[in-house]
Amino acid sequence: MIIAGIDMGICNTKAAIMKDEKIIGRSAVPTGGIDRPQQAQKAYDEALKNAGIAAGDVERVVSTGKGKFDVAFASEHYTETVAAARAAQYALPGATAVMSAGADETLSAALGTTRLIDEFVLNQKCSAGIGAFLEYLGARLELTLEQISNCDGPDAGEMNEGCVVFSELDALSLLNAGAAPEAVMSTANRAAATRAATVLADLTASPGGNVVLIGGLAKNAAFVKALEARLGRSFTIPEDAEYCGAIGAALCSVKGI
Amino acid sequence: MTHEYWKWPESSRVYEDAGWKAPGEATAGVDIGTTSAQAAVMLGGRLLGYSNVRVGADFRKSAKDALDLAMAGTGAAPADLAAIAVTGFAKNSVDFASKAIDEVQCHAKGARFMYGPDVRTLIDMGGQTVKAIRLFDWDRVRDFMIGDKCATGEGRRIEVLCDIMHVGITEIGPKSLEAEKDPEPVSTTCWAFGGTETLGLFGRPEFRSPKMSEAEIYASYLFSIAWRIIGVAGRLSPLDVGKIEIDGTLGLTGGLAKNPGITARIERELGVKAAVSEYDPMLAGAIGAALLAR
Repeated sequence: MIIAGIDMGICNTKAAIMKDEKIIGRSAVPTGGIDRPQQAQKAYDEALKNAGIAAGDVERVVSTGKGKFDVAFASEHYTETVAAARAAQYALPGATAVMSAGADETLSAALGTTRLIDEFVLNQKCSAGIGAFLEYLGARLELTLEQISNCDGPDAGEMNEGCVVFSELDALSLLNAGAAPEAVMSTANRAAATRAATVLADLTASPGGNVVLIGGLAKNAAFVKALEARLGRSFTIPEDAEYCGAIGAALCSVKGI
Repeated sequence: MTHEYWKWPESSRVYEDAGWKAPGEATAGVDIGTTSAQAAVMLGGRLLGYSNVRVGADFRKSAKDALDLAMAGTGAAPADLAAIAVTGFAKNSVDFASKAIDEVQCHAKGARFMYGPDVRTLIDMGGQTVKAIRLFDWDRVRDFMIGDKCATGEGRRIEVLCDIMHVGITEIGPKSLEAEKDPEPVSTTCWAFGGTETLGLFGRPEFRSPKMSEAEIYASYLFSIAWRIIGVAGRLSPLDVGKIEIDGTLGLTGGLAKNPGITARIERELGVKAAVSEYDPMLAGAIGAALLAR
């Protein structure tokens, strides 16, 4: 049975084609503005091509993410939290919790033994946009995504950890005070990690020892290192971390929620 | 980041009729902001050349590039200048200037040059800060307000949001004015909230609540920004208790003054027309610095 999962975020749309719970194709396209339905179609078409199959071979298409209802051809829509939970179980059998950190949203869920999710925590409004903030600050500092990911050096100074608007102004002040762009970015990665850490720390159900980290920010090594230091634990990061929403949505369709 | 919807056009120009003659007469001003840098070369009360560029990771280099670009084609070199003044957020990063002057003074002076002697209220809307300035009839600042922290970064947020919304930064304003009637603004408390709410307005129309056209989404977003800017102007000490009053002619400067979706809404809410200038509204700080350099 072939199921396609499409995860439409605010910056990128990810598609994954699953055959009998194995990934056979995937794709990612930039998302934005009024053309989201067409962007979803493009992501789907590219994933089909990547898998080497035709649309007729796919049993159903399901969606998740901020723009899940923009995927007009999806027959099922799953909340990001359940998709993340299913993806975590798939990536790490025996996983006890999942944390997802993307362009806009950060969430964590404690996985249950008799049910999929025991408890979940979403970011508060003020800590939205962490991923997008790091990417755009990096661009402002003339750093590539790879360079951003390597910025885990000494701090440039104090930076607000609560709000991306304040953080950016602090970053520019540090730059103006003579700090190197890499040092400013290192501080920003750490400030973002501090902000993201609260969604896992706020779980009252014990997150246990096997926590899976998914989403685009899982690819930012410096952010992950700071998050691990802040929480005093390590994460399992799947190879397809940024596709996990799409994978999880497809699995929800097979295994239920 | 594969898109560059946010990239506003850089510019420079030389006014050859201003007539560069001999070293030691012209002055220059450099306005090095968080997001953009401008340089203006003034000679005998006239603009000889200017530049307007985006700022990179090195403030000093961006300021120097702006000055070099403004001087290119004038026939003069920086060493020929009588004085160079620097203003803007990163003025302390600049080591080639003879003088650093605060932004409020420079904008006031520059706006008088650009919009004439009748300007008594000025709103500068830049990458990180909003400044509202009230002037005396002569070139003195009577009162000013700088945006509170939650009004920080609005210009920069528009750049980022344009990129995420896939709309050109020079197109969002005109497109927003295609809306027949302005909807309610998105959050007027915080630019970040406003941005997140705006992103939530996109999507298939049948799932949107309230249902909004593309033009209305932009209108709602830009209206929230105009609202905050008006709020900063409203905190100037009142001429008459309880009223936001625009004294004399209104001048609008800074990058957002080039966005008709912002300026039209400010004019509508305040009930006044802003003055127009033949010069780029982003140049006010640099022109003012050049005029005050000596």
